[in-house]
Amino acid sequence: MNPLPHSLDLAAEPAIAISGLVKLFGDHRALGGVDLTVRRGEKVVICGPSGSGKSTLIRCINALERLDGGRIVVNGIELTADEGTVQDIRQEVGMVFQHFNLFPHLTALENCMLAPQLNRGLSRAQAAKLAMAHLERVHLADQAHKYPSRLSGGQQQRVAIARALCMEPRILLFDEPTSALDPEMVNEVLGVMEDLATGGVTMLCVTHEMGFARRVADRCVFMDRGAIVEEGGSREFFDAPASERLRGFLAQILH
Amino acid sequence: MTNLSLADLAGYLRQLGEGALVTLELFLASFALAFGLGVLIGVATLARGRLIRAAWRVYASIFMGVPSLLVIFLIFYGGSAMLGAVLGEFGARIDISPFGAGVAALGIVYSAYVAELVRGAIENLPKGQFEGARALAIPPLVMWGRVILPQVMRLALPGLVNVWSFMLKETPLVSLAGLQDLVASAKIAAGATKEPFLFFVATALVFIAFSAASLWLATRLEIRLDRGQRRDPARTPARAEA
Repeated sequence: MNPLPHSLDLAAEPAIAISGLVKLFGDHRALGGVDLTVRRGEKVVICGPSGSGKSTLIRCINALERLDGGRIVVNGIELTADEGTVQDIRQEVGMVFQHFNLFPHLTALENCMLAPQLNRGLSRAQAAKLAMAHLERVHLADQAHKYPSRLSGGQQQRVAIARALCMEPRILLFDEPTSALDPEMVNEVLGVMEDLATGGVTMLCVTHEMGFARRVADRCVFMDRGAIVEEGGSREFFDAPASERLRGFLAQILH
Repeated sequence: MTNLSLADLAGYLRQLGEGALVTLELFLASFALAFGLGVLIGVATLARGRLIRAAWRVYASIFMGVPSLLVIFLIFYGGSAMLGAVLGEFGARIDISPFGAGVAALGIVYSAYVAELVRGAIENLPKGQFEGARALAIPPLVMWGRVILPQVMRLALPGLVNVWSFMLKETPLVSLAGLQDLVASAKIAAGATKEPFLFFVATALVFIAFSAASLWLATRLEIRLDRGQRRDPARTPARAEA
């Protein structure tokens, strides 16, 4: 997107490199030394039972959770406690939440304009144009001036995706983006995500939508009890799971 | 019955008007101070630090427990001495005006109530609002100004309207420190003319007018802060008038 002078060096670097990641909640070891490397442009789906640490893992990447051990390097920037570094990483990483987290006092358009105006120094008009383009991309240009409470869950989540895209991030994190939606709205959101996946953006997606994973994921990761149990290309992941735990999990969610 | 000449009446009413202006200024300045200080304290006391919590408990128990009149006197009579002790070596003795003492006292007392309201409202906001802003790399100050506080104000508005009304009714206390406000002017006029009923009723009417204006303002503010909420904004004014 933004060709830097040293883009060739960067191309060799992974988008996300996580090693030995530990996260504690009190006595509970939510993540017990996780290693995961995501290549540029790769689409990775993370699944696992609730409490397995999958959400915690992606929330560590943009520093919504503080690490208790290990390293995270995002596009060559090592995550530290330094506020400037954290902001740099958050500029590279867009996030979509289970509960959308739209700002209810701002319209869809204003939700999308806020961050680009602040962080990318765009004028109001430029930010509005950018926001409109991304709302168009999620098929919501006609709802731009509505407040979130006037939109359906599926529409709100698509606004949230557009809002993340307005930062033009090179990495997108999805934290169970369809889990809070009524069933009939799941597909409109997955459709937008599949559409995004055809571009060059790196995607890391926590979801139980196995059809989506099969169609989109380059790699699937199965987590349980704070550790990665198994990972592989989406075909062998679903058709020939190696571990007993993944077989059990797939049997449960695929009925 | 009345032997008040028209010219005298006009003179006293003009004094009443000037007093009303003083009361309004005192009230607005005190409320602004209470609001600003209260929001700052409300945000600061969100921190879990033991020292901050303890400091807040002391502050709240003093200013919520001690009568406002006493705080006014403490600042008016004690404040000059205190400032004198601190700044004494720079020469000039600093006098605190009744107006200044009133603004400081009412502002500080009511900041404790505002802080309580603001903190409660912040704690009631979904955590996702903070996370959404942080994930978008929105700097903390802007996050508070553009994302969090507008929502907090909506949640805290009914409580803030109460604080506003109580404060308005407490402003006459400052006349006891010598401020020539609405009630003080009414008292002088009532005493001089032997017409207490006339002037005190006129004063009451001014307060009723202030409070009606407040209600109108609060309704306007509610409509503005409620934008984006499920309630139909077009219905809100009708409901408030009912």
